[in-house]
Amino acid sequence: MKYHVLEKEQLNCFIKSLAKKMKVVAPISKGHGNYVFGEVKSADEISLNYVPTILPPKKYFMPTKEKMLDFDLSGKEPKDTAALDLEEIAIFGVHTCDLAGIQCLNIVFNERPRDYNYLLRKEKLFIIGLECNKYCDEYASCTLVNSHLPNGGYDLFFTDLGDRFLINVNTQKGEDFVESIDLPKAEPKDMTALEKLREEKKKIFRNEIDVDPKKIPEMLDKVYNSKLWEKVGEKCLSCGNCTNVCPTCYCFDMEDFINLDLKTGYRLRTWDSCQFETFATVAGGENFRSQRSMRQRHRVYRKFKFPVDKFNRFFCTGCGRCSRTCMAGINLKEILKEVAEESKF
Amino acid sequence: MSKEKKVLTKPKVAFFDFACCEGCQLQVANLGEKLLDLLGLIDVVEFREVMSEKWDKDYDIAIIEGSITDHHAEERIKKIRARSKILIAYGSCATLGGVNGMKNSFELEEIRKYVYGDKYHYFDSMTTKAVDQVVKVDYYVHGCPVYQPELVEVLKCALRGIPYSVPDKPVCAECKLNENCCLYDKGVVCLGPWTRAGCNSWCPNNGNFCYGCRGLVKNPAKNAAKDIIARYKLDEKLMKNKFDMYNKAKEVSDESKK
Repeated sequence: MKYHVLEKEQLNCFIKSLAKKMKVVAPISKGHGNYVFGEVKSADEISLNYVPTILPPKKYFMPTKEKMLDFDLSGKEPKDTAALDLEEIAIFGVHTCDLAGIQCLNIVFNERPRDYNYLLRKEKLFIIGLECNKYCDEYASCTLVNSHLPNGGYDLFFTDLGDRFLINVNTQKGEDFVESIDLPKAEPKDMTALEKLREEKKKIFRNEIDVDPKKIPEMLDKVYNSKLWEKVGEKCLSCGNCTNVCPTCYCFDMEDFINLDLKTGYRLRTWDSCQFETFATVAGGENFRSQRSMRQRHRVYRKFKFPVDKFNRFFCTGCGRCSRTCMAGINLKEILKEVAEESKF
Repeated sequence: MSKEKKVLTKPKVAFFDFACCEGCQLQVANLGEKLLDLLGLIDVVEFREVMSEKWDKDYDIAIIEGSITDHHAEERIKKIRARSKILIAYGSCATLGGVNGMKNSFELEEIRKYVYGDKYHYFDSMTTKAVDQVVKVDYYVHGCPVYQPELVEVLKCALRGIPYSVPDKPVCAECKLNENCCLYDKGVVCLGPWTRAGCNSWCPNNGNFCYGCRGLVKNPAKNAAKDIIARYKLDEKLMKNKFDMYNKAKEVSDESKK
C-alpha cells in the first residue's frame, strides 16, 4: 500500500494540476443542503464537507441520456453505426458509499453480454475517493452495509487528517499522477494518525438499525406478503426519485429518435425506474407490478435480497439518498427495522 | 413494374386557434432553425398568426390551439375535424381545457354576468372543454406553452404515422435527473409529483415550481398527496386551487361521465 501526503493548503495546486490534464468534477453546493458533482477549476469551489450529492457519480459512468447508435433508413437496407462519446474526467471527493456503488455497477455491466459503452467509459474516469470522518446525516446507513470504510474501487483515496490529507494510491494511474506532481511519501506519524482516526470512527459509526445484516435476506423471505409493503405503497408517489438517486440502480430504457430529414436518426439509452407505473407494463396492457406497494417491495428486494443471491453482496451502499430525496418521507432504515420486526412472527 | 417517379406532395398542415392566448403559436414561430427544417417537410396552408392565406380543401394535419368555450367554437372544431386526416391538440387549453377551465368553478350564468355585465345574453358561452371533449384527438402536445422539443417530436411522429406516447411519469422523474434542488426542500409547493413529465422539468430548471400545466399522470398518488400536505403543513385548499388552475375542465367532464 502506497501512501502520500498533501498539505491542505496545497489542495488547490493539486486540483489545478489535475485540471490541466482532464476535466475535474467534485461536489459543489446547490444551496438548501443540496450538493451535486459538477466541474471545478479550483479547490475553493469544492464542498469537502458534503451530504451525498443529488445524483451519485454514476451519472459519469452511465449518462442520464446516452447515444448508443446512429442509423440511416434512406437506403435499401437500414444502416447503423455504434456511437460512443467518451471524455476523460477526474471525479474528486467520492465518498466510500459511492465507491461501493460504482463497484456494484462494475459487476453488473461486466456480466455477459458485457456493456462495452459502460466498460470503455469507465476506463476514462479517474476516481479520487474521500473518507467520511463522521456521518453526513441521519439518513445514512453505511455501517450496516460496511461501506463506511474504503474497500478499493478508486485510483486515489483522500483521508482528512486535520492539516493534511493522507492519500492512498491504489492504481498505476493514481501513482503516475501523484509522482507527476512530486507528492511527498507518507511518514510513520501519518500512518499512526490514520490508525487513530479509524479507531475513532469505530466509536462513531455503528450499525444504524441494530439488525444483523447477514440475516436481512432471510428476513425478507418471510415478509414478502406482509402488510408493511401496503403501508409503504400508500405513501409512495411513484416519482422514481428513490431509484434515480440510487448509486446502484442501473435500469434503462432505449428509444429511437428520427431526425428532421425523417431518414436518419439515433438510439438513446435513458435511465428508467421500476417505480414508474409503466415500467412493468407489457404489450396488451398487463402490468406485473401494478401496485405501488409491489414496486416499493421490489426496490427493497432488489437491494437486499436478489443481488445477495446473485452476486453475494448488498446493492445498498447506505448513502441514504433514497430516504433523503423522498417527499413522502419513505425511509429505508424504517422499512428495514419493520422488516426485522415483522419477520419475528 | 416500371419505376414511376413518385410525385411527392408535402402534407398540408393548418394551425387553428380557439380560446387561448396564442402563446403556443408563438412557440412554433420561434422554433428558429428547426422551423426551417420542418417547412421542408410540410406545406403550411393556414396559420393565422403568420400568414393570411386560407385553404378550402382537406388538411393532412390540423394543429389545434385553445379550448372550446362556446357553441360556435364547438361547430367550428367539428368542421375542422371532418376535413382533417390527423388532428393534433397542442397547448394546455386544447389538451386539458387549461386556464380557461377555471370558469368551470362557477355557475355558468353567474360567471357570464360577472364577465359581460347585464348584456351577457348577447355573448354565447358554455362550460370550457378540452378539444378531445368535443372531437377525437390523435396527438397531444401538453404544456403552457408547449415545450418546443416535444412539439417537434410529436410532429415527426405524426408525419411518419406512428404513435407518440406522452410520458406517464411525474415531472420529478426529469427534475431529479436535472439535479434541481427539490422545491419542497425550499419550502415551495410544487405540482411536479402528480404532473406528467415530458417538459424536461422546464419550470424547476428555471427556478420556478411546477404549475401542473401538462395535466396529471394517469394514476396520481392521492394518498401521498394527503401525506405531503400534512408533512409540509400545506393548506389543502391552496393545493386544490393550484391543481384547478390547469386541470379544472378535465375534472368536470370526468365527474359528469360518472
